Amino acid sequence: MTDPISPRDDHSTTASNAGPTRPDGGNSTRADGGETQSRVFLEDGDAELDRGPLQRWVDDSIKNPDKVYRAMFYTAAIFFLVTTLFPFYWLLMVALTPEGQLSDIILTPNGFNPGAFIEVFQTIPFHWYVFNSFVIATASTVLVLVVGSLAGYAFGRLEFPAKVPLLLLVLVISFFPPAAFFIPLNDLFNTSFFILEPITGDGTLYNTPGAMVLPLSAIFMPLAIFILTTFYAQIPDGLEDAARVEGTTRLGALFRVIIPLSAPGVATAGVLTFIAVYNEFFFSFLMTDGQPESWAPLLEGILAYQGQYEVLYHLMAAASIIGVIPVAILVIVAQEKIVSGLTAGALKE
Amino acid sequence: MAKVTLENVTKRYDDVTAVEDVSMEIEDGEFVTFVGPSGCGKSTTMETVAGLTKPTEGRVYIGDDDVTTLAPKDRGVAMVFQNIALFPHMDVYDNISFGLQLRTYEDEEIERRVEQAADIVQLEGMLDRMPDEMSGGQRQRVAIARAIVRNPDVFLMDEPLANLDAKLRVHMRTELQRLHRELGTTIIYVTHDQAEAMTMSDRIAVLNAGKLQQLAPPLVCYNEPANRFVAGFIGSPSMNFLEGELVDGGLETKNFTIGIDHDVVPGATIGDAITLGVRPEDVHLVEYADSLTDPTDRISARTDVLEPMGDEVFVYLLLADQAERSMDQDPASSPNQLLMSVTPDTDIQEEQSVDVVLDRSKIHIFETATGKSLAHGIVDRSDQESGPTATEAE
Repeated sequence: MTDPISPRDDHSTTASNAGPTRPDGGNSTRADGGETQSRVFLEDGDAELDRGPLQRWVDDSIKNPDKVYRAMFYTAAIFFLVTTLFPFYWLLMVALTPEGQLSDIILTPNGFNPGAFIEVFQTIPFHWYVFNSFVIATASTVLVLVVGSLAGYAFGRLEFPAKVPLLLLVLVISFFPPAAFFIPLNDLFNTSFFILEPITGDGTLYNTPGAMVLPLSAIFMPLAIFILTTFYAQIPDGLEDAARVEGTTRLGALFRVIIPLSAPGVATAGVLTFIAVYNEFFFSFLMTDGQPESWAPLLEGILAYQGQYEVLYHLMAAASIIGVIPVAILVIVAQEKIVSGLTAGALKE
Repeated sequence: MAKVTLENVTKRYDDVTAVEDVSMEIEDGEFVTFVGPSGCGKSTTMETVAGLTKPTEGRVYIGDDDVTTLAPKDRGVAMVFQNIALFPHMDVYDNISFGLQLRTYEDEEIERRVEQAADIVQLEGMLDRMPDEMSGGQRQRVAIARAIVRNPDVFLMDEPLANLDAKLRVHMRTELQRLHRELGTTIIYVTHDQAEAMTMSDRIAVLNAGKLQQLAPPLVCYNEPANRFVAGFIGSPSMNFLEGELVDGGLETKNFTIGIDHDVVPGATIGDAITLGVRPEDVHLVEYADSLTDPTDRISARTDVLEPMGDEVFVYLLLADQAERSMDQDPASSPNQLLMSVTPDTDIQEEQSVDVVLDRSKIHIFETATGKSLAHGIVDRSDQESGPTATEAE
């Protein structure tokens, strides 16, 4: 490997003179050139061998590992792109196929019916479901970011007794399967509370956004706390001190200095929470009665195309594509924020 | 503008005492420097004034108000930090006006004040730059502008020049002095660089191990150090220390004896262990003894290493045989070594026998056990004023 002479260039010269000059004698005759034997010699640093294409390729990749890494990168990237994007492509094909010709779609639609994207809104008030999901996801994200920021500040920047055990406790809570909380929560949200009557009418949280925002915020809170703790801990103490001397409280310093400087972390935690809540199935499905006026989210809307006697697959596909658009826009916008935050960073102490 | 008073301030962390029983009074408009080695508590002391650290015991007053438990924002102090601490996500204008925007000022008033502050620190035309587009000195000036724009009662500066290069540091030093003259605000300045402390301050507070050692004007700290720590810390290179004993009619160190009447060392009796301290510039070659009013007897030595600095030459003298030289000892307190400073045109070589004398009026005597200063100058000729103790003689 360390031999500077390329094996292909100097193959003939070395074959003729390798024997006599080699101190280890016998093995140097290369006529039979078996693969195992040549590998042994490769590792010994004697690379001038008569080899087949595979051996040359192995030798070449050892010398130029970048080439292999690039090949591996393309393989992995293409694999992930196909597995994530092909279902979307297929959804689009299903959506464009007119009703009744839905069998045997392989790569092209059986017909062309872009009207399905209009029909989804005519069949049921799908936009209402999207709006509900959007409100629930936004409210959860705001709640998670505000509470998570306060917790992240405490865990990241303050010293207090039992800090590490508390942080671990937060982590442990996130280990529980959300389904384990469902029955008690469903029971709770169906209980009538007098103080809630002016807000929800019957005093229960069932069929209100609260029934989804509260449990979903709690479930995604630990991850946000961890992300924000890491980011807030990295802001130099001097900046917080400077803000406090200049006239902010600790809380003011958090919102005016620490959070703006942690924009990439806040964006990451926010986007993850938003997407997770927007796509969440279990609580969203069970905490409402499925009617748009009862704050039923997006996926109830998609399921609403499933009737007792027929399933409108092409409309479900079109609705799914429409439902993805808000998240896609959010990610594109937030990604710019994340990238700009990372490049503007360089927080020198 | 206000005076700052610390009253028995103590700060303890779990098992470390960072500041121990520090009391001082800083006058209105005074420039006081906290100086000391790393970890001596000078920054912690300043933070108790800023309000970033609450003292475990003791009280802090700004003006006549007890601010011990007040939040930093309500104390009327402004601070310049060692790491400059400009907000990287704001431009210079927003950085300077940060404190004003948090208070209820008119927009025009803010603009006027920012421009005035920028003018004082010579930052005109840079108000829309981002901090990372500026040089270290410019950033430091922004930090100073941010501090002066609010007209604080007290300025706190925590090693503001430590991260600048040497040339810029000297320049900013004079800028700060000019600023102090223009504004007349009380300034508390923390540094470990004694050149900054000596040149800028009205008074120096020397701290060590959390305790205040001496609070006095720079030259008093230099000429009449309160104890051995201050004597060794102030002045570069450091003072020579030679341990010895007070004997009848003299001061005996390992290699020489200086004849004195022991009365000139008040509070010490014959047989006490004392430490003799003398600065390098007060050690003279015997040829120059005539120019001194009061030289000691000659002390024979051998030159070891010369360090020409350009304006002066430091000569390391060995008082005993070379064989006794021990390399592992701290040279400043080695009983066999004496550092002498001479003018560059002096005819002197390495490995040469020389005789030196000490300037009696500049010899300091410390109690070895406590390090407490006993006398500054041992001028004891009976024909002079009767029994002048050192402090009075200065």
